[in-house]
Amino acid sequence: MKIVKIYEDSCVYCHLCEVACIVEHSQSKDIIKAFKRETKPIARCSAEFNYPLSYSVMCRHCDDAPCIEACQTGAMHRDERGYVVVNEDKCVGCWMCIMACPYGVIKKDERREVWGLSTKCDLCPDRETPACVEACPNNALMFEEV
Amino acid sequence: MKIVIIGNSVACVNAIEAIREKDKISQVVVVSDEQSRAYSHPLLPNLVVGDISRSDERFYYRSRNFYEKNKVTTVLGKKVVGISSQNRYVKLENDEKIPYDKLIITAGGKPFIPKMEGTELEGVHTLTNIKAADRLKKDLKNIKKCVVVGGGLIGSKIAEKLAKHGVKVTLVELMKRVLFPVLDDTGAEYIHKELKSLGVKLILGDSVVKLDGDKRVKKAVLSSGKSIDTDAVIVSVGVKPNLEFTSESGIETNKGIIVNDYMQTNIDTIYAAGDVTEAYDIVISQKRPIPILPLAARQGRIAGLNIEGENVKYSGGFPTNSITIGKVSFISMGIVDTDKLETLKIKKDGEYRKFIIDDNKLIGMILVGNIEKAGMFNWMIQNRFDVSWLKDTFLNSDFGWQYFSKAFRILRFDRKIK
Repeated sequence: MKIVKIYEDSCVYCHLCEVACIVEHSQSKDIIKAFKRETKPIARCSAEFNYPLSYSVMCRHCDDAPCIEACQTGAMHRDERGYVVVNEDKCVGCWMCIMACPYGVIKKDERREVWGLSTKCDLCPDRETPACVEACPNNALMFEEV
Repeated sequence: MKIVIIGNSVACVNAIEAIREKDKISQVVVVSDEQSRAYSHPLLPNLVVGDISRSDERFYYRSRNFYEKNKVTTVLGKKVVGISSQNRYVKLENDEKIPYDKLIITAGGKPFIPKMEGTELEGVHTLTNIKAADRLKKDLKNIKKCVVVGGGLIGSKIAEKLAKHGVKVTLVELMKRVLFPVLDDTGAEYIHKELKSLGVKLILGDSVVKLDGDKRVKKAVLSSGKSIDTDAVIVSVGVKPNLEFTSESGIETNKGIIVNDYMQTNIDTIYAAGDVTEAYDIVISQKRPIPILPLAARQGRIAGLNIEGENVKYSGGFPTNSITIGKVSFISMGIVDTDKLETLKIKKDGEYRKFIIDDNKLIGMILVGNIEKAGMFNWMIQNRFDVSWLKDTFLNSDFGWQYFSKAFRILRFDRKIK
């Protein structure tokens, strides 16, 4: 199965992966609208930094995903491609997936009115190559088999 | 093969999914005394106050067509009263017998009711299943004041929900703080503050010994002699494994059904999983019931796989909790309060971090506020990871992969180490 592979030696901490992720998961998929007019999505990848080290990290789409096991409503599930994704209409924001995620890559979105929303990499279901990989200027993220 | 499963919640559903991954042919029968399809138990307090309704898909653990899709026969609303392990059948309340080749018991827990007078009065509730939640919801119109007995996860949550709903709530907790086994004093203080700001009156270090009233409860009398006027009482001091039907079955039980590392009971053909069992706790190194959802899912899956001959071992579990009360979210796991072991902690703006370390292994932690990396610590506890070289970074708010060694980080990112 292909996931986004992380090549930390090539990362320059430019945050373009995050920008691309935000645009891809926005309503309009337009960069200006995504950042300035619509509700700005939370980036599913995180560029992290501890000089000279930097890398961008996102869901590893585990085979035996502990987040699916911990989910109380079945919102966290494996889609037909085999990737781990959140059903937004089912998620109640209990953060049990966060409690379980061995990579610490699920984020809290607390902006919905009633239920919180767990937010994570969905490997861009509308694209052939994930947006972060395409945006990376130095091959620090590659869409490859693990 | 005919597989019968007693109980219809998380462990059951995960067992079914595991069985069907391997085996499309065997007959699978689910017997449960509940009428509903599998639902989310942690959402029961939300159901009571109307945040969510039974027509909302969010409330359910799996979709309506789950049983049909997995070719499962359901026998719902029927209580199991006994098991004949010699003749391999399950006996129902109405004397009906359901034969099995393999049996999985996922009967869950039932509320623990402490010794007190007057629990039979009207207006006295529990909140561990949908029936109890419906009953409480129906009674809500009669409730202006309510006493919640026990400040555990259910007690704290229903106290919060009822207070937001306009009910005058008094929460009585025997220990010196709410959420006693899952938080320490500092962590619980955040929750106390939230509950108080919602108008919940906290009575700590005291317990209800008697409920008074004619037909309906009117007063709760505490061991300190205090008495509280009330319209209702919710007893939420905990759950215990539901062992009502195992007494003459020959199945070995202690507090729960004792299972081996393969989720198998002392009887070869019978497996058990979830809140009804007593499985291995890797943090305290002994078997005990740990009634939490992720472990029920894992154990159910393992039981299902092993029935299909897969030989999968349960590597043990430990308590993990995630809850939000008011504006405060926390996640805690393992042992959270001891003065005998190495403890690292820090309290800063809107955040509390605490770690318990035994012989360079992380065995417990609390995160309040900043919780997004909690699962990384879960992994360290589960895998008995040597944290001697890393623990100095645990208190950093930005704790993350940048603090691991490069070689280890790359192996983990590439999924070479699970």
